[in-house]
Amino acid sequence: MPELLPSLSSSVTTIALRDAREQLRDRFLLWAVLSLVVAAIVSAVTGAIALHGDAATYAMARDQLLALGRDASSIAPPEFYPLKLLRGTIEQIEIMGAVIALIAGYRAAAAERGRQTLALILTRPMPHWTYKLAKLIGGLSLAAASLGIAFAAMAALLPLISGVALTGGDLLRLALAWGAGVLYLSALFTLGFGLSLWAKSPASGLIYAFALWILVVLVAPQIGDTMDPDNQVAGGVFAQLSVPRAEQDRIKAGFAGYESFRNGIEVASVTKHFERFTFAILGIKDTYTGTPIADVMADKRGDLLFLFFFSLGLGGLVLLRPINPDRLTKEN
Amino acid sequence: MTPARFIARQSLAGLTRDRSVLILIAFFAAMVLVTAWLGWSATNTVNAIYADAATYLSASGQPVPPNPVSQTASLAVLRNLGVYISLIGAFGSIVIGQLLIETDRRAGTLPLIGARPFERRDLALGKMRALVTATGAMMAVAGIISVATLVTIPSLVVGPGDLLRLALFLVAGWAYITIFGFLALGAAARMPATASGLIAATVVWLVVTFVLPELTANVHPTAAINPVSTLANTPDLGFFHVMSRVLGPLSLAEGFAWLSGDLLSFLPDGLAPRGPIPPAVTLSVALILAGLFAARSAAKLDLNAGGPDA
Repeated sequence: MPELLPSLSSSVTTIALRDAREQLRDRFLLWAVLSLVVAAIVSAVTGAIALHGDAATYAMARDQLLALGRDASSIAPPEFYPLKLLRGTIEQIEIMGAVIALIAGYRAAAAERGRQTLALILTRPMPHWTYKLAKLIGGLSLAAASLGIAFAAMAALLPLISGVALTGGDLLRLALAWGAGVLYLSALFTLGFGLSLWAKSPASGLIYAFALWILVVLVAPQIGDTMDPDNQVAGGVFAQLSVPRAEQDRIKAGFAGYESFRNGIEVASVTKHFERFTFAILGIKDTYTGTPIADVMADKRGDLLFLFFFSLGLGGLVLLRPINPDRLTKEN
Repeated sequence: MTPARFIARQSLAGLTRDRSVLILIAFFAAMVLVTAWLGWSATNTVNAIYADAATYLSASGQPVPPNPVSQTASLAVLRNLGVYISLIGAFGSIVIGQLLIETDRRAGTLPLIGARPFERRDLALGKMRALVTATGAMMAVAGIISVATLVTIPSLVVGPGDLLRLALFLVAGWAYITIFGFLALGAAARMPATASGLIAATVVWLVVTFVLPELTANVHPTAAINPVSTLANTPDLGFFHVMSRVLGPLSLAEGFAWLSGDLLSFLPDGLAPRGPIPPAVTLSVALILAGLFAARSAAKLDLNAGGPDA
């Protein structure tokens, strides 16, 4: 038994390093990181341009009011919180990042299955789960590295496009969002890997993974978003009706059942938990803007725990489900 | 029977035996089924909120604005259909396009097909015909379910004009998803590695759906798949005006969303499409170009490659 552990550790390391070398050799990692960074930059820059436009409109309206000798406090200035510009970036990680993670998971399985070498690996004197553990560690590292580069690029870019320097607290918030992103993308990598390993062929596994991605990442949150009455009217139904905040809350209370159903559909999606946590910690959601990190963490602990246990559960499922070598030799 | 028709029949028979295709079509049909209910439920909720707000505004002596959704047409309850066509329908079409090439290649039947007295052109036309038929069948399913749900929902009045608009919308939806199917078919023919066509066409679809709308009008990804939020005005800034003019014709997802809003009667008043070219034109041109790409690629398909390790 004492000799077994170093041997397993060595097998895991060997397979993980072989995968890492392949990812670097065929430039998949490069393209994955580049796509994510470009999508993130596009989102942040277009958001910043729109914000500068809002600021210019505000300045013009304020100057007009002051010229007329009226009080300028009647119009609200646009908010300058640099982390708010990451809204589109987080959404791109939710969608584009998820696709990259699924493809990476598919590639991790297809690397051996597609070349019919998986059956050979499984004849080696090692438990099957070490092969899968090595692949999952590889996926976790890929998610950590690609998101690390994307968030580092954002940390460098935000002060330039917003004109506001990031504080130590902002960097800590970015680090927490990165951690949540690693959990989220690792879960999707595991999904892509598991399905591509078990399906009739790796390509079928990828098709099923993409179908689940559409359901979990796009459709479930989309249904919740569409059912939100505020999204049925351009600009928001309450804003159009000019109803004060207190009255909005009273009216909303009358639709508690509808709202619970809508929320239930949303929280069935792991994507929504990732979004709710990151939007809160980065202050993208107005009600959390400027809220201390400890308070946000206390409030959003449930979302973070869901992400953690979802990733852990999927990982456990993949590790525990046996690979059927007999079936692999018969695949077409 | 012409060779192209023969190949199309054989390819369609293969598709109907593929479980992943059947699951995707069933998923698409299920989402079409709930789309009318979603629209009806959300509209009812806004109406109820309006009634509450109107009571409050009247009691407090404030003017009561008109109900923002009362003037919407019956077809507007299907507003989510455009989103599901652009998500599930387009992905289904990509999978079908990929499988039309991949199945023969993996099964090792390409050399056998090459040994038959067919022209390369017949093979390309046969595969494209199979794709066009399959995507047409998907839209027919969507049409039948949509009409059935429209008739079922109480208080909706649907006239012949509405049905004509719905038919035109489904034609636009067919064109939109077939573009991505052609891309997947062409990419799969050009790239022999397993699933390469699927991945390449999916990447193009992701860029068109989630990246271009940010550049043309600062529409974030989540808003891009909301039928109402995506129909936003181009921000009144030089950058977005330039990008909208340059990238608007390429932003097919936005073009299709605009056409959906126009044909299903929920387009905000005065909202112009992105770019100088009408979406119906850009969609048609994109369909022709994607078809040419698929035809050229399938005609150059390497018929010697094949087998499980291809």
